[in-house]
Amino acid sequence: MSMLDAVRYRLRALLRRSEYEREMADEMRFHLELDARMLRHDAHGALAPDDAALAARRKFGNITRWKEETRAMAGLGFFDVMRQDVSFALRSFRRTPAFCAVVIATLAIGIGANTAIFSAVYAVILRELPFREPDRLMTVHLVSPAAGEEPARDDHVWSYQKFVVMQGSQRVFQDVALYMDHMVSFRGSSGAERIEVEVAGARYLPAIGIQPALGRNFLAEEDQTPGNARVVLLGDAFWKRRYDADSGVIGKPLTLDGTPYTIVGVLPPGFRGLTGKASLLLPIMSLSNDWLGEAWSHSFLGVARLAHGVSGARATAEMQALGRRIDEKYPHPEIKDAHWGATARPLDASRVDPVVRRSLLVLMGAVALVLLIACANVGSLFLVRAAGRRREIAVRLAIGAGRGRLMRQLLTESLLLSIVGGTAGLAIAWWGVRLLGALDPSAALRRGNGLVDFAVIHLDWAAFIFALFLAIVTGLAFGLLPVLRATSLTLSADLKDGGDAPLARGRRRLTSRNALATLEVALALVLLAGAGLTLRSLRNLLGVSPGFDASRLLTLRVTAPEDVSRDSIPWMRQEVLDRVTAIPGVRGASVIDCPPMNGGCSGTVLARRDRPLAAPGTEPDVGVHWIAPSWPSTVGVPLLRGRFFTEGDRAGQGKVVLIGATAARRLFPGIDPIDRPVSVGQGGFWNDTARVVGVVGDVSFGTLESEVANEVYLPYAQSPNRRLMFFVRTAGDPLAMVASVRRIVRDVSPDAAVHDVRTMEDRIADSTVSARFSTLLLSLFGVLALALAAIGTYGVISYNASRRTREMGIRVALGATRAQLVRLVLGEGIAIAIVGGVIGLVAALAATRVLGALLYNVAPSDPATFVTIFALLTGVVLLASWLPARRAARVAPQEALRTE
Amino acid sequence: MARTSPPPRSELLKGTLDMLILRTLTLQPMHGYAVAQHIARLSNEVLSVEQGSLYPALERLLAQGFLTSKWGESPTGRKARYYTITASGRKHLGAEVSSFERVLGAIQRVMDNG
Repeated sequence: MSMLDAVRYRLRALLRRSEYEREMADEMRFHLELDARMLRHDAHGALAPDDAALAARRKFGNITRWKEETRAMAGLGFFDVMRQDVSFALRSFRRTPAFCAVVIATLAIGIGANTAIFSAVYAVILRELPFREPDRLMTVHLVSPAAGEEPARDDHVWSYQKFVVMQGSQRVFQDVALYMDHMVSFRGSSGAERIEVEVAGARYLPAIGIQPALGRNFLAEEDQTPGNARVVLLGDAFWKRRYDADSGVIGKPLTLDGTPYTIVGVLPPGFRGLTGKASLLLPIMSLSNDWLGEAWSHSFLGVARLAHGVSGARATAEMQALGRRIDEKYPHPEIKDAHWGATARPLDASRVDPVVRRSLLVLMGAVALVLLIACANVGSLFLVRAAGRRREIAVRLAIGAGRGRLMRQLLTESLLLSIVGGTAGLAIAWWGVRLLGALDPSAALRRGNGLVDFAVIHLDWAAFIFALFLAIVTGLAFGLLPVLRATSLTLSADLKDGGDAPLARGRRRLTSRNALATLEVALALVLLAGAGLTLRSLRNLLGVSPGFDASRLLTLRVTAPEDVSRDSIPWMRQEVLDRVTAIPGVRGASVIDCPPMNGGCSGTVLARRDRPLAAPGTEPDVGVHWIAPSWPSTVGVPLLRGRFFTEGDRAGQGKVVLIGATAARRLFPGIDPIDRPVSVGQGGFWNDTARVVGVVGDVSFGTLESEVANEVYLPYAQSPNRRLMFFVRTAGDPLAMVASVRRIVRDVSPDAAVHDVRTMEDRIADSTVSARFSTLLLSLFGVLALALAAIGTYGVISYNASRRTREMGIRVALGATRAQLVRLVLGEGIAIAIVGGVIGLVAALAATRVLGALLYNVAPSDPATFVTIFALLTGVVLLASWLPARRAARVAPQEALRTE
Repeated sequence: MARTSPPPRSELLKGTLDMLILRTLTLQPMHGYAVAQHIARLSNEVLSVEQGSLYPALERLLAQGFLTSKWGESPTGRKARYYTITASGRKHLGAEVSSFERVLGAIQRVMDNG
């Protein structure tokens, strides 16, 4: 009861402040008036009313003081003091707006950038995968030996037959299953569509721990015989879009690639397979025996869930042992000493493309440096400010302010700035997270397994709070320094000359302020070096020519349904080409099976027939491409020797090939390849001999970074191929032609799907997306670091200069020239720039090594970059110290001597 | 420069003043001036201090829940604030008095046998 009374009383005193004050005044006035009356009464009227009032006042004591103490007793003191502190802080901020703006901006940038990047790192790299017990999930791979120019790989895909050997003997996994991304045609509302699907075994969903949201998984008997499992699970998005989330969909038919399937289930929301792209899930036994019967037809990825109590290491060891058993059953058909194997690793290791992972980690390191610089900057700004306030603090101590009270005042100032800076930082982080989601470098990369994408990045509060905490602690630590110092300083000295006795001190003394500025410069150099290297690398990358003219080039894939006979495809191909070429605004059109910048196309071997055959397995690898005769001229690949294909290179005529310049140089060293006989290991060109009729310029079919490979081109007319990628050179915007081309394809072949529609420039841009992503952010951080270092130096130098105003005056009076004064102040800046720069150079040389794998044609210690960055940084730092130096030197001696 | 806590004049006095106020208010609810007069009269002015010091003490007792206050009319017809001791105030007074008596008794014994 009484506790409640007490609380109610305090609350009332706090919330109804004016009423409280009035009552207190009333009560004390009542006391005084009554006492005065009593005194007069006691004196029997011998006391004048005024004297009585005075006497009562004397008995009562200092009214203001008792009021103050009464308020303190009600617990109001704390709030009073806080209000005072806040309004005092605001007043002092108004006097130094530049200081406040810089501190707030520094904190906001440091906190915001760190929170955003850490949020990305957490979401993409650190957060648990969204599956049941994700640490028990592993990927299983074949290990392929090095053969020819192909290096050994420990992440090779499976063939179904080899998988069966492993699956039947393994004892370490609770479940193990194959899966593969695949495309099927589907008759949608607006004609045929190609959709991405996954093909997987019946144990796929149980292995990763996913239950269908509706219906059932594939049955064991649907996992037995190739070609007879015509059932399908719908992805959640597909189900919602096509079937309006109708729960009666189970059991309904769905025609895919012209074959009827039965819908047996719906996948849970958000699950699009381990590839992250699947709209449907088909059983592996929906594939024909062509996919499944051949032990050397490698196409499938493997995923497994560890049995209880089995460690990942044991599973990997068992997989290696099973790899030897697979090799025994299916020994390498050509090379005796080349052995295949198998291995397993945690699924988590392949959750994101290694390049993206590395970029993110580098960015996190970079942004942590930005935070360090930001803290150093805030620290040095507070130090400068604190030093400037030494006299104020000395005065306040002298007139009796308590040390605790002063600390509280300074704490309030630091906290206010931190809160404002932190709020601004939160805004930057929020914006940054959205930006990162939009930049999404992983979407364009075809590697990585689609387990995570940048759309899942959310603002990470833990990161925000950590950064905020660090910034506040820095602010507090440096904000409080003046009070801690003040206890040791002799008041009279500070009051007398306003602080340091500048002439008595060593001029070049490295104060803590200068040390912080030096640290900033060093850290900024590390960041700038990283930014410079990636910029240079990106420039190199963008300077790589793809080997043809990519401008105004529309590319789109046309896929005929499986049931369209092979024989009708050449007609369809030619008909579409003829009609597209006739569209006004189209300069030319052609077709190839697989576009440049695809990250690789079909590969095979090439054998020269003008000399004895090489041993099997030692023939050189080539990329093989099917083209219409007009393809090189349409896309602008130059003819170097011989001729292009012509309409005369038809079936029944002598077989012909074109080769790339690199292939010509490597495969026919020193001789003219024209008319040389060759065999190509695909497209029916192995048992026949074809003549090389021309040499064309090199084209990048892999990525911009990858080395140019040997390429060989076959004419569609002599080697049937269903894969058709049309290239349309337009006069204007390529994408404006899409509708017309689609209409033509629909007219020519109603069941053919048009998909993968993009401009060639877009495809090339994709291949640099990761480099552009990390370069953009690193450059941003580098510029921030440079700006912060410049601000830090400027603050320190101008403060130091202002402390030496009197010294300047004396020097001028003694005959120093303006230039000498400038040099005097600038000297400090030079020291900061050189010392910081050299420390930074050493640190950067060590740090940029982590960039190695991300750089293209630039060494991590590229001297040109380092020299440029060093010059840039020292230049900016010198400029930042020259400004205050010039100002200091302009001071008139009398004015200087009169200050303080 | 506001000061959060005044330097205590005398610890004994401070504790004692609280006790005296509570004891006085066990007689009947009173306004501040009456409390001051009562204490001054009964202590033969020995404990007379600056009367203003009464108000922080009253405020402290209010905030601790040992007293409640209410505005009422004084016999002279003026508005005055009347203080009433609460149950927990009486309990607190009992504890204070017994501990005071223990100290007093101890001092007494030392003085008697000294």
